[in-house]
Amino acid sequence: MIHPNKVLMLIRREVWENRSLWITPLVISGVLLVSAAFSGSPVADGHGGLHIGPSMPPEALMTPDVAKRDGVYAGAISVLTLVQLVVLGIVVFFYLLDSLLQERKDRSILFWKSLPISDSEVVLSKTLTALVLAPLIVLAVSSVTQILFGSIMWLRFHSTVVGAWVTAWNPLMWLKVQVGSLALVLAVVVWYLPLAGYLLLVSVWARKNAFLWAVLPPAAVLLIEALILQSHNFGDFLGRRFAGVFMLMDFPKDEGPEGPALSEFLGHVGRVFTHYETWLGVLVAIAFMVAVIRVRRYRDDS
Amino acid sequence: MTTIIEARGLTKNYGDTAALRGIDLNVQAGRIVGLIGPNGSGKTTAIKSILGLTGFDGELKVLGKDPRTERNELMNEVCFIADVAVLPRWLKVSQALNLVGGIHPRFDRKRAEDFLARTDIRLDRSVRQLSKGMVTQLHLALILAIDARLLVLDEPTLGLDLLFRRSFYDNLLNDYFDKERTILVTTHQVEEIENILTDVIFLQHGQVKLDAAMETLGERFTQLVPSPGNIEAARALKPFYEREVFGRVAMLFDGRDGAELARFGETRAPSVADLFVAIMGGSPAVAGAKEAA
Repeated sequence: MIHPNKVLMLIRREVWENRSLWITPLVISGVLLVSAAFSGSPVADGHGGLHIGPSMPPEALMTPDVAKRDGVYAGAISVLTLVQLVVLGIVVFFYLLDSLLQERKDRSILFWKSLPISDSEVVLSKTLTALVLAPLIVLAVSSVTQILFGSIMWLRFHSTVVGAWVTAWNPLMWLKVQVGSLALVLAVVVWYLPLAGYLLLVSVWARKNAFLWAVLPPAAVLLIEALILQSHNFGDFLGRRFAGVFMLMDFPKDEGPEGPALSEFLGHVGRVFTHYETWLGVLVAIAFMVAVIRVRRYRDDS
Repeated sequence: MTTIIEARGLTKNYGDTAALRGIDLNVQAGRIVGLIGPNGSGKTTAIKSILGLTGFDGELKVLGKDPRTERNELMNEVCFIADVAVLPRWLKVSQALNLVGGIHPRFDRKRAEDFLARTDIRLDRSVRQLSKGMVTQLHLALILAIDARLLVLDEPTLGLDLLFRRSFYDNLLNDYFDKERTILVTTHQVEEIENILTDVIFLQHGQVKLDAAMETLGERFTQLVPSPGNIEAARALKPFYEREVFGRVAMLFDGRDGAELARFGETRAPSVADLFVAIMGGSPAVAGAKEAA
């Protein structure tokens, strides 16, 4: 039996304890905006000094084709989100590893167990915090960062020769970037569900050094397989599990700076949801979660 | 009378080590039961079984429910304080109130706030900023505001100074306890809680050595300090424990008539601490008390 209200309360509790979930994106956003405000310099010919984000060569913006210009701009502001998402991956990785270990380390598990909350509710709240709330925080911060970034660009460059192009701000384009980011995150989260389940299982099982417990056994299997069988099936499997989501999406590599249109982008992302490996992973993730809930039921270090 | 805890043949092994060797318990509503025993006696295991924190063999019903399979329902009506250290250090006092209020259907926030208002605890403080005694007060404030039928306290005042220990139990009695509620408490400091207990259970090596209502202890047990000439005669009545204090011998009897014993010297009712030492002390005479218990 799972009570939604209790799960929501427990998610609030996760945010109280793990302030890095919202502080980290804010700090990154601040750094990105400060560097956008002070790096590069507007030059008369539009070359050399001006680089807005890693992938926006100003000459690419200087085109009368509005759709193309929007595409370039969308690509540039998407980079702001991608930086956040990479860091989010790292934050969530360690959050999951620590989530069911910390409560035993500080013995607060006895306090949580004194309250009428079930193991399912606790595990669910931690999973939702990591895989739903944390990405939503990052996407929300990123979308605002993009608007601020556009404003900074306008302030800096609207009076220069590139101004007319740089300041071509299009709310619809911005909205499309948000839709694309959300779809991408959803696909990546669903794909990595089994990894999340594995990390939770290590977290609930380990007494300390969760990171080593998570990393060493697979490394040992790799090594033993390489030494004894002289093969690398397990390595191939891991490679597939880690990179598979991007292989499935299969974005064209040699596209122009304007990137794919949203419908095309969603088409690529959608391939993740139609592939059986994704759903096989979801089944494995469910099995991990059931195991996590069972282990936490009687887990106690004291 | 409602039975709150009923155990028959409660057994728990950790590998080769037996923590509980088939104990029987029967705790009625409205009692304050002291579960007393040395380290390793099995009292923490017994409490963990009652709270559904560990598996066990044998029969155990708490509020009519099996803690192994019905823990989630059980915890609506059972509260416990395990140790002073268990409140998470990052938790702010105001967050603690929001949290328990948001989770516990029987939490009365006003009561907790009123209790906290009488302490030095400020709502904007986090647990890490509070002294050990204040953390216990905070935990007590949360627990007292929960309308639970069974409260389990495992060494609740461990590491606290005398003033906090005393006020902890005073608050428990004045603000919490009533005829509907039941408290099960373990402690090392028997002498501090014997005045508030209605029942005592002694545990040793995973077995119940004594299970008695406080009001029956005086009738059942008598301490005798025989006058010097009567020592041998008194000994013939088979005390189950004997010790020498300041050159005088003190004997403990189980089930002897006090008036009869008074002929040999001074008699009085032994304290729970006296009984604890006598029954658990491991003197050769302990075997007799085992059978009696």
